[in-house]
Amino acid sequence: MAVRFLKQFATPTPTTRYYSSQVKKCTLIPGDGIGPEISAAVQKIFAAANVPIEWESVDVTPVRGPDGTFGIPQKAIDSVNRNKIGLKGPLMTPVGKGHRSLNLALRKEFNLYANVRPCRSLKGYKTLYDNVDVVTIRENTEGEYSGIEHEIVDGVVQSIKLITEDASMRVAEFAFKYVIENKRRKLTAVHKANIMRMSDGLFLRCCREVAKKFPDVKFEEKYLDTVCLNMVQDPSKYDVLVMPNLYGDILSDMCAGLVGGLGLTPSGNIGLNGALFESVHGTAPDIAGQDKANPTALLLSAVMMLRYMGFHDHAQVIETACFNTIAEAKYLTGDLGGKAKCSEFTNAICQKVASK
Amino acid sequence: TSIPIALYGGRNAVTMLPGGGIGPELMVYVKEIFKYSGAPVDFELIEIDPKSDESNDLEYAITSIKRNGVAIKGNIETKSESTIVQSRNVAIRNELDLYVNVLHCHSYPHVKARQSNIDILIIRQNTEGEYAMLEHESVSGVVESMKVVTKSNSERVCRFAFEFARKNNRKKVTTIHKANIMKLSDGLFLETSRTVAKEYPEIEHNDMIIDNCCMQLVSNPHQFDVMIMTNLYGTIVSNVVCGLVGGAGLLSGRNYGDHYAIFEPGTRNTGTAIAGKNIANPIAMINASIDMLDHLGHKQHSRIISEAVRKTVCKDKLHTPDLGGTATSTEVVQRIIDHILQADLRAW
Ligand SMILES: Nc1ncnc2c1ncn2[C@@H]1O[C@H](COP(=O)(O)OP(=O)(O)OP(=O)(O)O)[C@@H](O)[C@H]1O
Ligand SMILES: Nc1ncnc2c1ncn2[C@@H]1O[C@H](COP(=O)(O)OP(=O)(O)OP(=O)(O)O)[C@@H](O)[C@H]1O
Ligand SMILES: [Mg+2]
Ligand SMILES: [Mg+2]
Repeated sequence: MAVRFLKQFATPTPTTRYYSSQVKKCTLIPGDGIGPEISAAVQKIFAAANVPIEWESVDVTPVRGPDGTFGIPQKAIDSVNRNKIGLKGPLMTPVGKGHRSLNLALRKEFNLYANVRPCRSLKGYKTLYDNVDVVTIRENTEGEYSGIEHEIVDGVVQSIKLITEDASMRVAEFAFKYVIENKRRKLTAVHKANIMRMSDGLFLRCCREVAKKFPDVKFEEKYLDTVCLNMVQDPSKYDVLVMPNLYGDILSDMCAGLVGGLGLTPSGNIGLNGALFESVHGTAPDIAGQDKANPTALLLSAVMMLRYMGFHDHAQVIETACFNTIAEAKYLTGDLGGKAKCSEFTNAICQKVASK
Repeated sequence: TSIPIALYGGRNAVTMLPGGGIGPELMVYVKEIFKYSGAPVDFELIEIDPKSDESNDLEYAITSIKRNGVAIKGNIETKSESTIVQSRNVAIRNELDLYVNVLHCHSYPHVKARQSNIDILIIRQNTEGEYAMLEHESVSGVVESMKVVTKSNSERVCRFAFEFARKNNRKKVTTIHKANIMKLSDGLFLETSRTVAKEYPEIEHNDMIIDNCCMQLVSNPHQFDVMIMTNLYGTIVSNVVCGLVGGAGLLSGRNYGDHYAIFEPGTRNTGTAIAGKNIANPIAMINASIDMLDHLGHKQHSRIISEAVRKTVCKDKLHTPDLGGTATSTEVVQRIIDHILQADLRAW
């Protein structure tokens, strides 16, 4: 792991998407519950690191549209469409009629077709596994989440899983590019084509097809069950994994479990019209407003965002400061077994960042 | 479940399907151990060619199991990538209506594993769900795959689980699902389990979403007791828990229907990569044979063999490489046989 860090320092990847001197606008959706606190923490750390980003904060609390249903305010949609990049805290989905899941609405609105979740063991936070460094890439638009279900006859229900060549090719291409851009070592396609021969078979064929275009990337195919078995025994067997929607949902949470839960794992959603980075934990209403939340997941998501934008140096500085602060274990928040406030943890990171 | 048993002169005929990979070598060990322990079982060996698209072998195997009522089985690979050829394993389970799979996941003392003191009973729907194998390409490049959940099968599995829990003095049953997304299909399974649970007020019942379940399994597995789930979640959870207690080579699984039963290694692996090297862990398949003897009512034989396995694994700590040891498969089997020979076979 350390070797890769050093390599990244030695040969900074050319910025492909943006010139780092330019100030970029970025949409910020602080979210609900602890969202505003951890978003503020991220902004503070970014300021300390002089990241050339200007935040455009928007509210996504649903408003009633002309047709009577609730939806995301147009202003927020316009902001993301303009900036093509966003950072998002946790959102609470109100229970009740007429409210679609906001996360789903955002995914639809911006065509977010790939979900990327890196999971890495953190020094200083001891869990059962200390050698985890895997990235799950999940197809995010179809599969088991097609929502097509019906009761054929009384007591017999069908649910349709939809796999298309277009979506499979798209996510496979993204996965191969991700491996190259992030200097990872291997890509594993996870499937169950021994049973679902046509649907998972199609997904697998697309991966093989794309693999031909990337002869330098080491590529392998594994059954979902074998990955589950091996992952909990020895996670170092895997590096980057690409898979259909449901498998990705399950494996990404399982990998997060290996390194201590959702409070520490970042996430990115890559779309046709932009990318949205987010923390995947909940709104934690029990500690909201008390300066107790751990901003790590959102901060690491923001670091992912920086890398996506080509700000590799800033990303590295902030990430290192965050890891070191956790490793020193002087200012840990309650969820990591410490007593520090969110603001104290944040300040510790700011100091490290500023001294660079 | 009452099983028709073919008894010829006090002996049982059992169908043996070695399957591919390490299956054949493991079956040799089982036969060897049965010989030394005097288990009154005759095997009817049926090999299925994995490369063939023909289904003659398969039909013959099914006929044999229908005749004998009981089978022991390795994993049958379906090598053909043709979309019209079905998985042989699934075809056998469906044809015999083996609607439930039971996997008792428990830790072995002195086996190196990520977790210890695990004792989880996984009960899985075994014939429908995502394994319905109803798929079609509506237009080129667009494939629909049907998952089928029926009330009757869900109810059979849930009832089996609660009866099993009651008989074995288990305290809690957890239904695993994704009903927040698949509201109708997984919703039906969840609702059915809730209805059945009401008839067992002494057993606590709760439910959990499959992604959260996997996160909990790797971080806090001791909260689980009995788990019930649909087919695909079953393969996921089985493999995760087996991984936690020591891998694919240890535990056995049981497939039951109203008329037939099949015994096999719990995670249903082929083990192609380790075949023929004398390194495969024989314990899972031997445990499957012990389950089978139990099922046939040969309790003394099953007890003697399982005692020999326990001594070999937990006391002698003779382990194959998958458990971090250096023993070969045959060394482990020989030690088990030694223990059997030392046991008083006339104990009954
Ligand atoms: N960033 C965080 N820092 C500290 N603790 C957290 C954080 N995120 C979650 N938690 C804790 O984890 C637990 C689960 O909270 P989480 O918000 O994920 O689920 P939830 O309460 O169901 O909320 P929601 O309904 O928004 O999903 C809570 O006890 C919360 O305090
Ligand atoms: N009896 C056993 N003893 C030791 N290791 C085993 C045993 N059974 C399975 N394994 C190991 O478990 C893992 C998964 O098994 P398996 O080989 O079936 O994987 P697979 O992905 O299904 O591949 P294939 O179908 O080609 O065999 C492998 O690492 C295998 O070596
Ligand atoms: Mg999830
Ligand atoms: Mg296998």
